[in-house]
Amino acid sequence: MRVMALILAGGAGTRLGVLSERRAKPAVPFAGRFRIIDFTLSNCVNSGIYDVSVLTQYLPRSLNDHIGIGRPWDLDRSRGGIRLLQPYQGRGHQQWYGGTADAVLQNLDHIRESRADTLLVLSGDHIYKMDYRPMLRLHEERRADLTLAVMEVPPEETSRFGIVVTGSDGKVVRFLEKPKDAPSTLANMGVYVFRVEALIDRLRALTEKHPDLDFGKHVIPGMVDTFGVYAFPFAGYWVDVGTVDAYWQTSMELVSGASRLDLFDPSWVIHTRSEERPPMKLGPQAVVQESMVCNGCIVRGQVVRSVLSPGVYVSPGAVVRESVIMNDTWIGPGAVVERCILDKRVVVGTGTQLGWGDDNTPNRQMPDAFHFGITLAGKGAHIPAGKRIGRNVLVEAGVDEEAFTGFGDDVPSGATIGIGGAA
Amino acid sequence: MTEMAMILAGGESPALSVLTAFRSEAAVPFGGKYRIIDFTLSNCVNSGIFNVAVLTQYQPRSLNEHIGVGRPWDLDRTAGGVRLLQPYVSTRGDRGAWQEGTADALRFNLDLLREPVNDVLILAGDHIYKMDYRPMVRFHQDHEADVTLAVRTVPSFEAYRYGMVTVDGEGRVTHFVEKPRRTHSHLASMGIYVFGRQVLTDWLTSDSGAGQRDLGGEVIPALVKQKRVYAYPFQGYWADVGTVQAYYEANMALLAETPPLDLYDPEWVIHTRSEERPAAWVGPTARVEGNLLCDGCRVEGTVIRSVISPGVYVAPDAVVRDSLVMNDCQIEVGAEVERAILDKRVRVEEGACLGCGDDNTPNRAQPDRLNTGLTVVGKRAVIPKGARVGRNVVIHPRAAIADYPNGDVPSGETVGR
Repeated sequence: MRVMALILAGGAGTRLGVLSERRAKPAVPFAGRFRIIDFTLSNCVNSGIYDVSVLTQYLPRSLNDHIGIGRPWDLDRSRGGIRLLQPYQGRGHQQWYGGTADAVLQNLDHIRESRADTLLVLSGDHIYKMDYRPMLRLHEERRADLTLAVMEVPPEETSRFGIVVTGSDGKVVRFLEKPKDAPSTLANMGVYVFRVEALIDRLRALTEKHPDLDFGKHVIPGMVDTFGVYAFPFAGYWVDVGTVDAYWQTSMELVSGASRLDLFDPSWVIHTRSEERPPMKLGPQAVVQESMVCNGCIVRGQVVRSVLSPGVYVSPGAVVRESVIMNDTWIGPGAVVERCILDKRVVVGTGTQLGWGDDNTPNRQMPDAFHFGITLAGKGAHIPAGKRIGRNVLVEAGVDEEAFTGFGDDVPSGATIGIGGAA
Repeated sequence: MTEMAMILAGGESPALSVLTAFRSEAAVPFGGKYRIIDFTLSNCVNSGIFNVAVLTQYQPRSLNEHIGVGRPWDLDRTAGGVRLLQPYVSTRGDRGAWQEGTADALRFNLDLLREPVNDVLILAGDHIYKMDYRPMVRFHQDHEADVTLAVRTVPSFEAYRYGMVTVDGEGRVTHFVEKPRRTHSHLASMGIYVFGRQVLTDWLTSDSGAGQRDLGGEVIPALVKQKRVYAYPFQGYWADVGTVQAYYEANMALLAETPPLDLYDPEWVIHTRSEERPAAWVGPTARVEGNLLCDGCRVEGTVIRSVISPGVYVAPDAVVRDSLVMNDCQIEVGAEVERAILDKRVRVEEGACLGCGDDNTPNRAQPDRLNTGLTVVGKRAVIPKGARVGRNVVIHPRAAIADYPNGDVPSGETVGR
């Protein structure tokens, strides 16, 4: 069996708001020093798979920088290694990737040339630790055309997933994408093992009809009857941090020490591009509790139940509570940051209160995605001193202090502050 | 690339006690995540010197692993880069192949010094400092010097530890005395030299130079009389951490609010081989004050004024105070650690106390070296459950429960071997 892994990393992750305003979702920082895609990449190399391609489309620069030539994962190799596959022009055709399966279809030449007979299709959006080897073994033993990893989900969440019904031998007998009334609680995790020839046959048959060809919607449902499709049950930790709320919740579980995600396991190291930073420094007045703090941080204030990425500076008298603060953000003296997610290089002015008050008015521009009381600031935003900024507020990336002039000292919950001023 | 650096990292450094039992001083951890040699290596690359040789002899394995092919310093290069030089067997004469001093080590490797190298920086691998070597090399060239030594002022009571220098109005060295009992000079040589390539090669193979073994003690004093030797004054932070006390103080100095050695300067990054570890986790029951904590450590107890390396675990109700704790040490429930230096992978079992009590009896085996109340624990040693270990105690690497026949260890004792 010659296995090649293909990681789908082109998604926009719109429900992450300003976190994915300037980067693809797989490049969003997580747990201080990781990016979301580190988990999938580390799963590959920890499972002995050293032939990995990453399909990119949406805002790939951050991801390109992060992956580079693949050194942190030992993927800088002469044979195999890592490749980033961008959309490309050909003679007579030029097309963006229309959907997940369309992206794979457009790179069939690459898959064929690798001479792989087995294709592991993965998503770069999920946080999980999984050894792919038992799944590949099952796929081989069953001589399957497709094996998909499945997990149990609560009945109320079945409408978000592809739902699978299996026979006694693990063969998939039905597959329903995001059903209203689910016949089972076994959900598709988006981890697929394909026999390459079977995949090619299937994609060829479909390509004319669907320019937005998608695995869950188009490819898999019709395969159940005519191909050998099997389910591989997975019981480990798996989470999609695709919404601000899920991202924040997952981070809070991690700092509490109660999460099932063990990042300290020496037998399954999550590799990442480490920054060269000195140790974290705690001043004599610092208070740090239930938090994850990275190298390069300097803490002179209070940090409680929070995640701090490398290089964050918490000034004397500042308080950071139940928040996720990314690289090199500066929290001014006496500032209070509560239930916030601050992207890289944000500046929080002296004495400013961010995520202030009890008013939980949803964000007026995106009420569906932002109504959990979490305030977000995008990369490089400058928040002036002495403000009181409510909940569900979105401060867009790169805004400077002038954008706040429309407000007095208070920015009410639910507001959005963009480059062009307040909305 | 007309400059190259040779870093002397082969000495035994017995004054660092068990920390150098299995590694050379250059490879001793410092500041939580660094090794001592990182400072010199980073100074080289930050000064644009990408042709570096590291001369090793004593216990080089740890140093070899750390430096590897030189990636963290961008020294994995086709031309130049970093080379680790070991002693080797040769057929010249009857002296055997071991290097018998710094000058001897250089003499073994003279064949490395060839065109286009003009000037050779001779550096020590066991100093903590940040220094741009470029102004010094320029000074050397401007004065058309044969040798330039970096010097700094020291108080006269410390003069006995250094090579002391007297200069004339132009900065030319007129006298050099190695470790004098009395001197009127306040200028100490820092062990940082720029040599003209030809000057060094010629002298070490000349009639008068060929028998000399030590650079500071023999070569420099002789050259001062015959060649153009200049002193380059250096003002910045510099520490020789060659004793347990100096090593401890230099580490603890990093905890100051504005430390003399700034590790956070983005313009002068100290590069090291970073370990792949998640963010440090500080638990709900933890208390942390005035520390350096590294990625990958987990704290559930109390840590005050200490330097904690990657992977250390401090359990609930354990207390670590004024200590240096290296990689992957385990401080178990209720244990206490005070004024101690713990090498890697030490286990302090439940309720044990390290560095406890007020009895400051100096170490009986090394009273001149261990007398300030510091207890030093070697790699992989175990402090048994409930044991009380005093001050100025040395616990050898891999000391096991059987090495504690009486359970407790009074101040000044030595455990294991």
